[in-house]
Amino acid sequence: MPKISTMPSSPAKLRVIWLQGITCNGNTHSFLNDPSLAYLLDSVEFLHHPLLPCEKTLKELVKKLPKSDILIFEGAYNASFERAGVTMETLVPALAHKTKHIISMGSCASFGGIFKENDPEHISGIVFDKENASGPLRDMRKKVIALSGCPAHPKWLSFVIDMIKMNKPILVDEYRRPKELYGYLVHNGCLRNEYFEWKVDSEHFGTKEGCLFYAQGCQGPFTHGSCNKILWNEVSSKTRAGTPCVGCTEPTFPKRELFSTKTYMSIPAEMPLGVPKRSYLALAGAAKSFHIKRLEERLIDDNA
Amino acid sequence: MITHELIERIEGEAVLDFQTDKNGHVEDAAIRFLHFRGMEAILEGRNALDALVIAPRVCGICGHSHLIAAARMIESAYIDAGFSLTISPKAQMIRDITLSCELIQNHIKWLYLVMLHESGKMVGEEPSVALKALYATSQINQLCALFSGQWPHSSYALPGGVTCDPTHIEVMQALKILSDVERFVEDEVLGCSAEAFSTHIRDDALLSLKGDFGTLLRNFERLNLLNSGKSHGRFLVLGENAGVMSEGKRSAADIGSVSEDSSQTFEHGGKTYAKNALYNGEFYEGGPLARSLIHQREEITLLHQRYGDSALTRITARIDEVVTLTAHVRKLLNSLDLSQPSFIPPSSIESISGEGIGIVEAPRGSLIHRARIEKGRIASYSIITPTQWNLGNGTPSNLGIAQRAMIGAESIAKASLIFRTFDVCSVCTTH
Repeated sequence: MPKISTMPSSPAKLRVIWLQGITCNGNTHSFLNDPSLAYLLDSVEFLHHPLLPCEKTLKELVKKLPKSDILIFEGAYNASFERAGVTMETLVPALAHKTKHIISMGSCASFGGIFKENDPEHISGIVFDKENASGPLRDMRKKVIALSGCPAHPKWLSFVIDMIKMNKPILVDEYRRPKELYGYLVHNGCLRNEYFEWKVDSEHFGTKEGCLFYAQGCQGPFTHGSCNKILWNEVSSKTRAGTPCVGCTEPTFPKRELFSTKTYMSIPAEMPLGVPKRSYLALAGAAKSFHIKRLEERLIDDNA
Repeated sequence: MITHELIERIEGEAVLDFQTDKNGHVEDAAIRFLHFRGMEAILEGRNALDALVIAPRVCGICGHSHLIAAARMIESAYIDAGFSLTISPKAQMIRDITLSCELIQNHIKWLYLVMLHESGKMVGEEPSVALKALYATSQINQLCALFSGQWPHSSYALPGGVTCDPTHIEVMQALKILSDVERFVEDEVLGCSAEAFSTHIRDDALLSLKGDFGTLLRNFERLNLLNSGKSHGRFLVLGENAGVMSEGKRSAADIGSVSEDSSQTFEHGGKTYAKNALYNGEFYEGGPLARSLIHQREEITLLHQRYGDSALTRITARIDEVVTLTAHVRKLLNSLDLSQPSFIPPSSIESISGEGIGIVEAPRGSLIHRARIEKGRIASYSIITPTQWNLGNGTPSNLGIAQRAMIGAESIAKASLIFRTFDVCSVCTTH
C-alpha cells in the first residue's frame, strides 16, 4: 500500500497585537462586523485585543512587551498619550521594533484624522502627519501598511492579513495604502455614475436620481477607496444610501463644508482625480448640451 | 487600603480607586477616566452640517446615536430660528429602525464580550470568542446599513429627513435579517421564545433560562451578586417618552433641571476628565432599566418591585430591551410607507441662527447634544453622554450611581463586575 503523506500540521498562527491610541473604537467595531471572523481567527491569534478574548490584558502587555508578527495600531498618535499608564512614546516604537508587520488601522492611525484637529501640533498618524511623512514610525515605514478610512473596512484588514499569511508582496501607494484596495476611487461602482457622465445633478438629498458631486459635496471622484466595490456591511455604501462621500480615506480628512460642493464659476472647484480642468470643461459642456430625457425623469414611476 | 484598578474590555479604559477595609470589602470607590479628545472644540467654528460627520466619531459603538442627536439638534435650531421643518413619517421611522439596530448590537456585545467573559473568568469558566454573537451583531448592523449605507459612522440623517430612498428590496432583506437575529435571541440568548421569557420573569424563574443569559445570571448567583449593585433608585429618561422616577414615583422630566458638574475634573484639581451629569443637582440612572421603569414595561417593573435596582434587575432590563426592540423594528419595517418623501429640503443652513437641542435614548441612556448656531456655523457645542449620568464621580454625601452600587461589595473584583453592569463606555464619557 502506498504511503499516504500526512497532512501538514496547521501552520502556526500569526501573533497579533491590537493597540489603541486616541480613538473612538470605530475600527474595532468595524472589524467585529467581519462575517468571516471565524475564518480569520483560524490564522490569527491575538496577544492583545481591546475587546476580544486574548492572551494578555493591556496591563500585562505593557509590563513586558512581547514580539509579534503583526502590530495593528488604531487611533491617532500623541507621544504623551497613555495606555495602562505607559506613554505612546514608549509603547509604539518598542512594539514596532519587535514586530514584522505594522498596520495603521483607520485614518487617525494613518494621518491623524479627526482627533488631530484638537491638538494639531502634537497629534499625528504613526507614519504620516496629514500628507507629511513625519510620524514616530516614519523610519520604519517600509514595514507599515496603511488602511486609511474612518473607519477601515473589515475586509481591507483581512486582505492585508491574508497577503502577509501567504507571504505575498503588497503593492502600495505613496501613503503605504494597498493599491488593490485604494487604486480605485469611491466613485467607481457608484450607482449614480450615469448621472455623473451626463452632468445631471441631484435635485436634493433623499432621491435615487442625480449625481451628488455637483452640489451635495460628494468627494467620490477624487477619493481613493473601494467602498463601491467591497460594499459596507456587505450590502451598501454612503453613496448607495444617498450620502455624499466625505473623503475619509484621504490625509486631508476631515475637510470643511462636507455637504456642499465648492464651485468656481458654477464648476466644482475640485476636479475628478487626474482630470485636467480643460478636459473636464470640454466634456461637461458637451454632455450638458444634450438633454437625456430618461435621466431627467424619476427612476421608478408609474408611467408605462 | 487604596487600590487602583485598571478596567479594560470596555469601550476605552477606566481606573477605579477602591478603598477597602481589612476584609477587602469596598468602602469607597472613585471612578476616573483619563482620556480626552476635545470633540466639542473640534465641532466649533464648522458648518453645522459638518456635525453629522464629526459627531458620530465620538464613539465607535454608539456613533449612530450621536448622529441622530446632532441631526435633531440642528432641526431644533431651525425651529428656534423661526423656520419650519418637516420630516416625513417614513424618514422618522427609518431613523428609529437604524437607531434601534445600534442598541440591539450594543446590548448583545455587552452580554457576550463583556459580561459573560468577565463573570466567567471569576467562576473559572472563561468562554472562548463568542463568534455566534458577533455574527448576529454583524447581521443587525447589516440591517442598519441597508438604510444608513454603513455602520459604524454613517452620516445619512440630515435636517429634513434621511438621504436614502429605499425600495421594498431593502425592506425585504431587512425583514429576513431580523428573523435571523430574532432566532439568535430566542435560541442562544434566552433559550426560549420571547413569550416564555416574559413568563420566566413573572414566575421568578429567570435562573432556569437555558440560554447564555441564563448562564450570566447563574454566574452572578454563584458569585452571590444577583441582589447587589443597588443604587439610589432614581431614574431618568430625557429622550422619547421622557420622565423621571424617584422613590417609586414617576413624574414629567424637565430638561431645564439638567446640569453638568466639573468639580471632580483635572481642571478643578480632581482626578478625572469626566464631568458629572446631574438632574436637580442629584445623580439619576439612565439606560435600559430607567427606560423600562419609566415606560412601565410590565415584566421589568415587576422585577424591580421584587428586587429593587439590583444587578439582577439592571442586567435583565438590558436583555429585555433587545427583545422589545427586535419586535419594535419588525413593526416599523412592516408599516413603512415607501411612497412618502425621504427628505423634505429645509431652508439653507446659512440662514439659521439659533439654539438647538437634540436628545436621543442611546444604548446607555439619555444623550444630549446642544449647540448655538450663528448663520449656519457652530458657535458653541456641548455634549452630555449617557455614561456621565451613570458613571459620575460624587462625594461621600452625594455618591454617583455606579459608585453607590459598588460600595459594600465583598471584593474589588466583585465591585468591578458590578461596575460593568452599567455598560461602561470611556470614550463617550469624556469625549
